[in-house]
Amino acid sequence: MIVLRLAWRNVWRNVRRTGLTIAATVFAVFLVVVFIAMGDGIHSKMVEDSVRIQSGHVQLAGAGYLENRTLEYGMRWTPELEAAVSKVEAVEAWAPRVTSAALLSVDDASHGVLLIGLDPAREVGLSTLAERVTEGTFLPDDVPNGIVLGEQLAKNLAAEIGDEVLVFSMAYTLQNAYELFTLTGTMKLPDPALERSFAVVELASLQTFLEFGDRVTEVALLAESAADVPDIEASLATLDLAAAGLEVNAWDDVMPDLAQFIVIDDAGMYVLLIILIVIVGFGILNTILMSVMERQRELGAMLALGLRPLRIFQMIYAESLFMAAIGLVIGLALALPTVWILGLNPIPIPGGEEMAAAAALVGMEPVIVFELRDSTLPGAALTIAIVAALAALYPAIKASRARPVDALRSL
Amino acid sequence: MLEAIDITKTYETRGVETKALRGVSLAVADGEFTALAGPSGSGKTTLLNLFGALDTPTAGKILLDGQDLGELDATALADLRLAKLGFVFQAYNLIPVLSARENVEFVMELQGVPVADRHRRAHAVLDQVGLADMAEKRPLEMSGGQQQRVAVARAIVSEPRIVLADEPTANLDSKTAAQLLGIMQRMNREQGVTFLFSTHDPMVIDLARRVVRLHDGEIASDERRE
Repeated sequence: MIVLRLAWRNVWRNVRRTGLTIAATVFAVFLVVVFIAMGDGIHSKMVEDSVRIQSGHVQLAGAGYLENRTLEYGMRWTPELEAAVSKVEAVEAWAPRVTSAALLSVDDASHGVLLIGLDPAREVGLSTLAERVTEGTFLPDDVPNGIVLGEQLAKNLAAEIGDEVLVFSMAYTLQNAYELFTLTGTMKLPDPALERSFAVVELASLQTFLEFGDRVTEVALLAESAADVPDIEASLATLDLAAAGLEVNAWDDVMPDLAQFIVIDDAGMYVLLIILIVIVGFGILNTILMSVMERQRELGAMLALGLRPLRIFQMIYAESLFMAAIGLVIGLALALPTVWILGLNPIPIPGGEEMAAAAALVGMEPVIVFELRDSTLPGAALTIAIVAALAALYPAIKASRARPVDALRSL
Repeated sequence: MLEAIDITKTYETRGVETKALRGVSLAVADGEFTALAGPSGSGKTTLLNLFGALDTPTAGKILLDGQDLGELDATALADLRLAKLGFVFQAYNLIPVLSARENVEFVMELQGVPVADRHRRAHAVLDQVGLADMAEKRPLEMSGGQQQRVAVARAIVSEPRIVLADEPTANLDSKTAAQLLGIMQRMNREQGVTFLFSTHDPMVIDLARRVVRLHDGEIASDERRE
């Protein structure tokens, strides 16, 4: 107890120096939490946007489909499978789809695309494709063989709403397949590369066109968030899907480019934050070391009076941790409301079309979103505690090795 | 019993060796009231530091109750000082973040004396040294003399077997010095506490029952008085 009391009072011996150290810690904690929340928010939005356009959080497919992506690896979406997947608690929605490569042609223009067949009714609440339509309608019931194109793709094909689009592909039977579809709408997608090569038709139309029967290439499963993916994978693992010739792929398996981008982006940000935290660590080290150097005589006197070296060590450590803890509490008290407010009010990236185009290059919409994950606060607290502990190590060892005779040396 | 056996202490500063003690042997029995006297640089503070296990000799042995202090590690030495020794430093060396009462209680707190007992004894000894009304003041709020009295109070409050005092009256007026020496004499007589002073002060030398005079790191004389 005496050690903690001494440590607490020692922290406040030089209020200005302690204040500056705490201010640096507050600043670091604030930046760490806000930047991590920003990174997590942006990445979450990229993932959520992508899973709601393409794979879902988890994709159920025939074994080998992910590697080959051909109709040969299609699967049957049986009522038994449907019932079993519907029982998985973390699955919020599911939708069977057929995906195939195709060539689209309008007059003299043609373009290779990723052609998706989906059931618009099942996609409600799962995909955002219908909400992304900027012109026309998303696969209306009254237009047989309707097709919706990415906005840029439609421009490249010079296709207008109501135009006929000739679709070429290879059927399941390996015969050439071609059919006329009617353009019912165009949609804006966050990824410009995808927008140039993305087309959607009704599931049954595509199954017929590709002579695919009642097969599908995949079933997209949607969770509340990407954090629930492990739960879904664990639940699906109990269904012994491998025996049924199926495989379960998480979004990062289906979209490895996106997953890799997030890892690299996180790495860049963490390097910056580590530099920031190391600077704060040196600040704490400087404060504690200066304090120890100034107190050599006093520490020697304490040893002379019978305080064990280990308790001197503990006292110096406690001083460092007290400062870090105060900085952490104030930093979090400032960062949490900030992140909460920013979470409710995403920040549009200024810079107009140019910035929007730059953001689009990495599949982002020009908006900064903030998301505070459960791991952020314990992570920040642990990081600051480790930094404070490391920063105090040298001064604490030095203090505990002070010689009692130094207490009298001033004579 | 404190014993110095053929002690040599050499300091080296920038390659220059200075012999502070040259083959000193001295035994201080339990219950003595002894002054180490001598001019500055004679080695009296060095000898006091060695007896207090605050420093180690270059050669020779220091024994406390037959235990060779050179065989103990830093933790064992701290425990030994806590259990048996009390110190009065010339520079007071009070802990600045503790009040006078807390400074006086410091050693007792390390010894695990219960809070109520600590408070009672601290107040009693502060009263004895005339600082009852300064109990909650911190060292920087007190004069040098007041700090020295707190340092003496801290050294004697836990009733150690041996008190080592380095110029304990150096910053005190003669009346306060006499008062403190009276308290120490009474502890020596009534409780058998051993006192070993390093001093220039004639008042301390007059009161001592044994005066060991040092000169150039050697014992020049050893006078016992009845």
